[in-house]
Amino acid sequence: MNKKKGFGLLAKQRASGWAFLTPAALLLFLTSFYPMVQAFITSLKTGSSARLKWSEPLFNNYTRMLKDTVFKTSMGNTFLYLIIQVPIMLILAILLAQLLNNKDLKFRGLFRTLIFLPCATSLVSYALIFKTLFAREGLINAMLLSLGIIKENVNWLGTPGTAKAVIIIAMLWRWTGYNMVFYLAGLQNIEYSVYEAANIDGANGWKTFWNVTVPLLRPVIVMTAIMSINGTLQLFDESVNLTAGGPSNTTITMSHYIYNNSLGSGVANFGYASAMSFVVFILVAVLALINMKVGDTRD
Amino acid sequence: MKKFVAVLITLCLMLAVSSALADKLTVSAWDAAFNGSALQAAADDYKANVDPDFELEINIVSGSSDVENDMTLAGSSGDYSNLSDIVLFQDHFIQRYVADYPDCWVSLDDAGINWDDFGAEKLSYSTVDGVHYGVPVDNGTAIMAYRVDLLEQCGYTVADMTGITWDKFLEVGKEVYAKTGKALLSMDGSGNDLPYIMLQAEGKSQFKDGKPYITENEDLVKIIKVICEMAKEHVLILANDWTGYVNETVLQDQVAGVMNGNWMIPSMSLVTENSGKWEITTLPTLDGHEGYAANGGSSLYITANCKNLELAKKFLAYTFGGSTETYDNALRKGGVIGCCISAAQSGVYQEGVPFFNGQAIYSKIVEMGAHVPIVEQNDYHYTCRGYIGNAIQEVLMGGDVETALKTAEDQLLFAMGL
Repeated sequence: MNKKKGFGLLAKQRASGWAFLTPAALLLFLTSFYPMVQAFITSLKTGSSARLKWSEPLFNNYTRMLKDTVFKTSMGNTFLYLIIQVPIMLILAILLAQLLNNKDLKFRGLFRTLIFLPCATSLVSYALIFKTLFAREGLINAMLLSLGIIKENVNWLGTPGTAKAVIIIAMLWRWTGYNMVFYLAGLQNIEYSVYEAANIDGANGWKTFWNVTVPLLRPVIVMTAIMSINGTLQLFDESVNLTAGGPSNTTITMSHYIYNNSLGSGVANFGYASAMSFVVFILVAVLALINMKVGDTRD
Repeated sequence: MKKFVAVLITLCLMLAVSSALADKLTVSAWDAAFNGSALQAAADDYKANVDPDFELEINIVSGSSDVENDMTLAGSSGDYSNLSDIVLFQDHFIQRYVADYPDCWVSLDDAGINWDDFGAEKLSYSTVDGVHYGVPVDNGTAIMAYRVDLLEQCGYTVADMTGITWDKFLEVGKEVYAKTGKALLSMDGSGNDLPYIMLQAEGKSQFKDGKPYITENEDLVKIIKVICEMAKEHVLILANDWTGYVNETVLQDQVAGVMNGNWMIPSMSLVTENSGKWEITTLPTLDGHEGYAANGGSSLYITANCKNLELAKKFLAYTFGGSTETYDNALRKGGVIGCCISAAQSGVYQEGVPFFNGQAIYSKIVEMGAHVPIVEQNDYHYTCRGYIGNAIQEVLMGGDVETALKTAEDQLLFAMGL
């Protein structure tokens, strides 16, 4: 009977659901998926970007990557930043969030704002400020010299090891507060009574943190981890502005090398650059997938 | 609705007609004080002497790479509508851009310019397959400038430093560092200009028959060794980047010598307390003959977006094609030393420059420019420069010259797809 009328309640709901989804889905398709497909097609081509032609053999740009020492260096650098910076940052963020979640802490709002503030600075300007701080005649050298810790100016950004360290320190400064805000929001969703119960059961602060807070924050941790991994794999501004990839490409990141191959140094090798960005895309997707599988314990 | 469309069409037509009627051109350049001033001088000249209705809109972008990226994007998309009518373009990049995006550029063969009035080395950049695409603007002739007062403290004169070997330079450099604490030379260590300049002074290139010529190139190997030795002995400061080179080493007065394209002069002149203490001469070489080289000049090119080709060609031919007024004012206001041989006969070029101890440096630079040897150019010039710069840094970090250069050569071969 109902079927004859055409739309049942369920069908109507379904239709309105699709109606709401369609505009966003279309936009997503147009601005994300269509470019991805195009990037893949471009990655199979070669030559001047005005007259791209299919490469011979078709996957030449991908096999070429295996022989590219600079690409390998850039990949190694990016993963080094990832492995060192992301865990330190997330642990710091969660500890700071825990500290600033304390109800009895005075000037809580002020501290939270101060720690979050670096996120409000533009990537380029903060990178330039760090560059000035760590310049040969910069503030850090002047401070360390007058404290007697170093004997002569250190060329922080001109030595591979210290240049990498500066990039990691800069990123920690810029992003810890950002992640802290997610943890704060997560902590606020945890009922205070849970902590009271833990307290009655005799758990100390450390035990409460590991056995109550961390498990309850798990979804937020997974989300921040995915976002940080994604962000670090696409690291660009710091490499370009702080060190320009130098000295001798020892601090260059994948995105920076991709940029160098497309714009920037007059090479305009868009086919090869697209192939490399596709590899980055796959890496991000795989890492995010692993993260979600490991982090999601619902079933 | 119809009325609205009609009004719109009329408006568009009016706009189109008015912009076509006005004698207006747009141009992109990257240094307001330097090449921007030169363009302004040319615009004033053309307006005063040829066409009172002429108007030139000068777009100053933040760096030469902005113009390069504009061309890459326009050329890749086939949409030239955002380009300026005329662009200033770096000499070392133009060959590659004409090859990659041939439809972006306009031939100037019929512009009526007397090409014989320009140095052959300079024209070798802007000429592709015998077709002239660009009008030379600034002359990239390299200078070797010394601080006379500091040399004197060590018992040398600029004449002593003319026509010397790099070994002698190193020896003097050590003395200068010991006595004055200043380095005799500095450079940007990441995009190192030194190997190219020093090699051109030897009459050689990093390329031979379209292939990298690095490990087999004995002169280049010697030059890299000299550079590394100078850096280790504090004779040469290698800054981390271009800003470090200009701001820290030159502007903060850490050097007793500067070697680069003469476009460095406006920057050097900013250190006013050293006015009168500098003089210029030719470059040292491996065997001690007087070295001549050029680095990083640029030329003006008409783009595919230019609607008023005739005006653009007439403007370029009249001004940078040889107008003494343009060149004199470009030099006076922007310190831009042109490449036009007849324009350099003018009085302004013969004047002594107080910053350089009264030396008539401009006529000297034009004269030196005539001796610059033509060396093989390649589309991968800057890529090569980057890799060789990296090789130097690797040697300074404890690597071995031959291995580092082999790596550079391999990377360059890879980048060139050879």
